[in-house]
Amino acid sequence: MDPITFSIIRHRLFRVVEEAVMTLKHVSGSAITNEGHDLMVSLYRADGSLLMGGVGFLHHLTSAAEACKAIIRRFDGQIHEGDLFLLNDPYTAALHTSDIYLIAPIHYEGRLVAWSACFVHVFDIGAMNPGGFAPDAVDIFTEGFSSPGLKLIDRGEMRQDVWDTILNMVRGPEMVALDLRSMIACNNVAGERLIALFEKYGAETVDHACRMLIEQSEQRLRERLRELPDGQWQSRQYLEVKGETYRVVLTMRKQGDELVFDFTGSSPQSKYSVNCSKWASLGGLFAPLFPLLCYDITWNEGVIRPVRMIAPEGSIVNCARPAPVSVATVGAIQSVNNAACATIGKMLAASERYAEESTAVWHANHFAIFMFGTNQRGGLSIGILTETFAGAGGARHVGDGVDIGGEIPNPISRMANVETIEATFPVRYLFRRRLKDSGGPGRHRGGTGGEMMIVAHDAPDGGIDYVVSGKGTKFPQSDGLAGGYPGALNDYVWIHADESDATAFAGSLADMKGRHEPISWGVYPLRGKDGLYVRWNGGGGLGDPLDRPAEQVVNDVTAGAISTRAAEEVYGVAFKDGVLDATLTETRRRDLKARRLQEVA
Amino acid sequence: MARRRFSDTLVLADGKICCGACERPLAAADRSWKEQAALTVVPVASLPGAGLGTDSRIVLRRFACSGCGSLLETEVALPEDPFLEDRIVVAG
Repeated sequence: MDPITFSIIRHRLFRVVEEAVMTLKHVSGSAITNEGHDLMVSLYRADGSLLMGGVGFLHHLTSAAEACKAIIRRFDGQIHEGDLFLLNDPYTAALHTSDIYLIAPIHYEGRLVAWSACFVHVFDIGAMNPGGFAPDAVDIFTEGFSSPGLKLIDRGEMRQDVWDTILNMVRGPEMVALDLRSMIACNNVAGERLIALFEKYGAETVDHACRMLIEQSEQRLRERLRELPDGQWQSRQYLEVKGETYRVVLTMRKQGDELVFDFTGSSPQSKYSVNCSKWASLGGLFAPLFPLLCYDITWNEGVIRPVRMIAPEGSIVNCARPAPVSVATVGAIQSVNNAACATIGKMLAASERYAEESTAVWHANHFAIFMFGTNQRGGLSIGILTETFAGAGGARHVGDGVDIGGEIPNPISRMANVETIEATFPVRYLFRRRLKDSGGPGRHRGGTGGEMMIVAHDAPDGGIDYVVSGKGTKFPQSDGLAGGYPGALNDYVWIHADESDATAFAGSLADMKGRHEPISWGVYPLRGKDGLYVRWNGGGGLGDPLDRPAEQVVNDVTAGAISTRAAEEVYGVAFKDGVLDATLTETRRRDLKARRLQEVA
Repeated sequence: MARRRFSDTLVLADGKICCGACERPLAAADRSWKEQAALTVVPVASLPGAGLGTDSRIVLRRFACSGCGSLLETEVALPEDPFLEDRIVVAG
């Protein structure tokens, strides 16, 4: 095939995915989709293998491939033009029940030639707690509607009985219907555009280009792996739920042109819903692998072939049915993301050629708070506080992490503006801003996370309730690299305030009068004059903080990114009358280095 | 002396893992360099920016060069957990 035709087809495939993503966003009415970009669209070959991974949450690319394959197995001989399938069972392929896959076969001239698949986190899935993340769940049966595969549309005709059954099991069925319709529209656009591509170039040419694309990706990743040093790198993540501590332990081994992610040593599965299934772990490790190792390689089946995963059965990263998994995406999966990011970062740092691609761990803890209740218009609102997607960049070899800089597993993650959230829920923001001292110290500082506080406002029921499935309050998870410190931790504080305590315009947590109760797991009220304070983690730092240019540390203090205490104690910078003292700084840094040798543990 | 990267802060030279700043040898390439580093341990709860709920047991292990004091690596750990160990395969 001539390289120009190949290149055009490759770009067209990418544009098909892009346009389908836009469709999904424009049709959806959920802030989690069109503001937070908790979505994914990809194209798959006729056998279900990944052809063109799209943007959005990348840990879905491989899971949706498995979902396609599960549909192919289940509906063998019953897959027709115009069909549409639904799958959301975590033990078949999905990550958790509320991330529904809608999967459409794409036929050309009567023959199955490809699949499109997409997901959104639907408004509700009928789990014990509204919104899908269910800290109260004890097993998969309490996590809402779950299907290992069903046909939703048969040859272009909606199966109304199936549609009605699904909507009968969820809260806010009109919003879930809109979520599903956005995904139907997305798949329709993907299918139409792909068929147009087949019509223009012919089935044989497009098929040839697709095969070449996968072979090219495999070849290029294997070449890259051969350029990287052979070795092994380890990382470890801690999770805590209600006093119980869990570990995700990873040894990543690279030999020749193959990479093995071995999670041996990780904790047994939890009774809480932070577990994840093996497909979720596989997706979790690929989420950082795609952007960090394959930033210039098409994300498809070719990238998957050189990679193998070992995940012990019955562990927190490969739990056995019916263990609960509804919090997986911000639980064990995110820890797998972080662990893989850490080991890949270390492997890159060991390479002369690729060191500048290395990074500390980015935003490692979603705080994932779902609000639910009667809104100011008397309707039902359920939805996430999208600041959980705001993230924080990890420090990179080439510079500081970006403040509120997103996250590695989702290149297009973002948060809604305050007004959007205040229009959706009966709440008012007292503040939302960068969080001082949240970015991990280092020669290159991790990007800051943020902090915010909300109170109930104009609420017909006197307030609203919220689900917290937070981890990351006990243990930092945004690991530093090469001497960099980790990013700071999350916090969730319920401020109990009575009328006399009411603080209409508190500018900080300390300003908010009342009893402050740290919380992290369960369902809580935001009523009366009470407040909810949330802070989210920063990115990991990179390199020795004592090597950070003193002028940059001063800039950080001036900008409010770090405190004077951090500047002095961690970065070794000295001030005199509020101004940098270069001589004293040099002395202090020398003393701090010497102290490292004297205070050996 | 043949020299190549082990990490951002360490190099491999003549079959040994050395500090990248002062080139002090820390360990043979197939051994744990962390055992030979200057280790200081600080509770995460005592660091600037620590959260309200930080577990009192969790520490930041800081591995510095035992010669020049340059910080080589950190790791977050509970006291009972072993050091994270990285290895580079040296040909031949």
